[in-house]
Amino acid sequence: MIRWRNLATAAAALVLPGTALAQTDDIVRFVTCPIYRDTDAGRKSGCWLADMHETGIRYDVSASPTKPDWNYAVLVEGRVSAGQDGACGGVTLDPVRTSTLEEGCTRHMLPAEGYPGRRYVLEGRFVQPMAVPREVPPPPYEPRSFYLYFEFDRDFLIYQYDDYLIDRAATWLRAAQPRRIVITGYAATDPQTISGRTLAERPQVARERAEMVAEAMRRLLPGTPVGARWESGSTPIDDADADGLPGQSQRRVEIRPEF
Amino acid sequence: MIFRFAGRLLLFASAGLLVGTAAVRSAAPQDWWAPGDGRTFPAQVDYRNEQGVLRVLLANGPLDTRDHPFFAPPGANGRACVTCHQPADAMSLSVESARERWEATGGRDQLFSAYDGSNCPTLPQGERASHSLLLDHGLIRIQLPWPVTEWNGRAVEPDFTIEVVRDPYGCNSGEEYGPAAGNVSVYRRPRPVANLKYLIATGFAYDPKQGLPLPLDPVSGRPMSGNLMADGRSGTLGDQMRDAAATHLQLLAQMDAGERDRIEEFILRVYAAQQFSSAGGALDAGGAEGGPRKLADSEPGQLGSIGTPLWSEFEAWERISDAERVTLSPEALAFRQSVARGARVFRDKTFLITDSAGINAPIGFGNPVRNSCVFCHNMTMMGNDVAPGQVDLGTTTQPFADPAPHLPLFRITCTGRPHPFYGRVIHTSDPGFALTTGRCADVGKITLQSMRGLAARAPYFSNGSASDLRGVVDYYDRRYDIGYTEQEKQDLVNLMSVL
Repeated sequence: MIRWRNLATAAAALVLPGTALAQTDDIVRFVTCPIYRDTDAGRKSGCWLADMHETGIRYDVSASPTKPDWNYAVLVEGRVSAGQDGACGGVTLDPVRTSTLEEGCTRHMLPAEGYPGRRYVLEGRFVQPMAVPREVPPPPYEPRSFYLYFEFDRDFLIYQYDDYLIDRAATWLRAAQPRRIVITGYAATDPQTISGRTLAERPQVARERAEMVAEAMRRLLPGTPVGARWESGSTPIDDADADGLPGQSQRRVEIRPEF
Repeated sequence: MIFRFAGRLLLFASAGLLVGTAAVRSAAPQDWWAPGDGRTFPAQVDYRNEQGVLRVLLANGPLDTRDHPFFAPPGANGRACVTCHQPADAMSLSVESARERWEATGGRDQLFSAYDGSNCPTLPQGERASHSLLLDHGLIRIQLPWPVTEWNGRAVEPDFTIEVVRDPYGCNSGEEYGPAAGNVSVYRRPRPVANLKYLIATGFAYDPKQGLPLPLDPVSGRPMSGNLMADGRSGTLGDQMRDAAATHLQLLAQMDAGERDRIEEFILRVYAAQQFSSAGGALDAGGAEGGPRKLADSEPGQLGSIGTPLWSEFEAWERISDAERVTLSPEALAFRQSVARGARVFRDKTFLITDSAGINAPIGFGNPVRNSCVFCHNMTMMGNDVAPGQVDLGTTTQPFADPAPHLPLFRITCTGRPHPFYGRVIHTSDPGFALTTGRCADVGKITLQSMRGLAARAPYFSNGSASDLRGVVDYYDRRYDIGYTEQEKQDLVNLMSVL
């Protein structure tokens, strides 16, 4: 149930007189220290908030596949959602990504303050148990690309995001039986100024990503040769699983079968 | 009515307590299984403990243990696998059994072999003080290579250095057994060799904590669960046997494949769980489904959150009928209700989990994350982790670990990225999973335990830091500032006492 007060708060956050507007479908990108709001609607129901200091707008970034760490700064990349439920006390970004940075933060927790939070629901990108048979993708099995995406400057395969994507790719590749798989890691090494900081991924993270995914493919497709290469200076691509977030699409690995 | 349990005579005033369960062994040999004593391992055997009765089942019938490699001493030190995996202790080794054995043999049992049954092989043997870690804390010395060697034998270049800060027994600072000599000596509890089909089960192909699909067993090609050993250093039962044979049994020549197959065939048949509660009666009565039989008959690897909820074996005790109530003493009724509440608390009482590697980083759940005990103890009927379970609860690592002057203390310095929660310098009595991976981020991570047979195998946690079940609850309550009520604590203790 959404309380009237929460709806009002959400509406106010979307239109802040005299300051800035947060319009539906706006893409925002900023760095800040995250705030945890201790709502309790059961397991994994706490809210994550991020204040964009440039505008004074508080965003609800709880929909990110990776949640923040209150000890560290966070890079927020998200789109203002058309569906503002006011559950957490901030303008909802969805889709949204949060990347934990190495810059330290003072941890901060807010009480629920009447915000209900959201009950955790397993939906979207999640892997089925091994006991659930995968549907065999139909032919033709022609060269194509599969993509995996990462947090800023990290090579960790994200739970309930990359595992889903890689499981889907592996299912197709098992059916297609390519002669070889080529993994290409990319890094967004071109510096960008975000919230007064110059952010650029390390060039070597491209290699780390490629090698991580190559190891994953060796485990999922034993016997299939896997090659790895890497490139820096990544540019955005248009792939549905990056959810229309250009920054996310730059931090990727491409899996490409060769027949 | 008189029931004879293996080695311990029990008198039950009520004849109904074990009705409908099983016949108890008619013979009454000693509880302790000495290597090579040639007994037959029965299809079912019950052992009394402080909380009631543990039942050990051997699926597919009894086993003649004469010359069986699990039971026969193959090496010079006279030990066998059974030495540290005693049926009465749910196939682990309780500190109580170790003490009894010390008293019975004047410290001359093979259990107290200098290599790992003493605090350090360099100490004078046969003196109690030299075996205090085993006798007081149930700890066996584990000698690991330093720098690190991975489970597949591959050398790893660690991203941390290790220094010895405190060394009560000289083992880590001496010439043979410490980091300077290419080894690290840590001290851990033997893990139970029972209900193993659950520990090797892989519910999902991915290890979310490592961000990778599960590694494959190079022999079978099957994914490895990662739940077998405290530091995950052996991914298969065969690897674990090779490791144990070369260290704990001090075998110069390895067991052959046939011997390993015979051990594996045996241990995959063993199920152990509490069957009877001295406070609540039979654990499969009144609609409850406790005891090992259900474990033996069920499919492993099921995630409680999307299937059968954890500890729903005791759900029937949430609604004990009036007809049943009159058959129970007030104490038994109250105990059963407490167990049922404990299961609810275990599943439903949420708290903020903070700064615990393997949970709060790097997996993406966030730090903090609100969840309950089943977040990690999530496998139906067992409470181990469906996803491989190396997490850092802080039981071995400062500042969360309780003072442990009896243990060595290491200073870990991260040479790459600092640890996400401890920073660059970490003090720990056991680096845990980091001694397998060589990664600073894994310092203090320990594989989650299964929760069956707890009543038979105190003390608890990998370093024995909780002397009893209440100690386990109190540690969690302190570590995560949970705020359990006294009633909730007792309900959790009662629940754990019947697993």
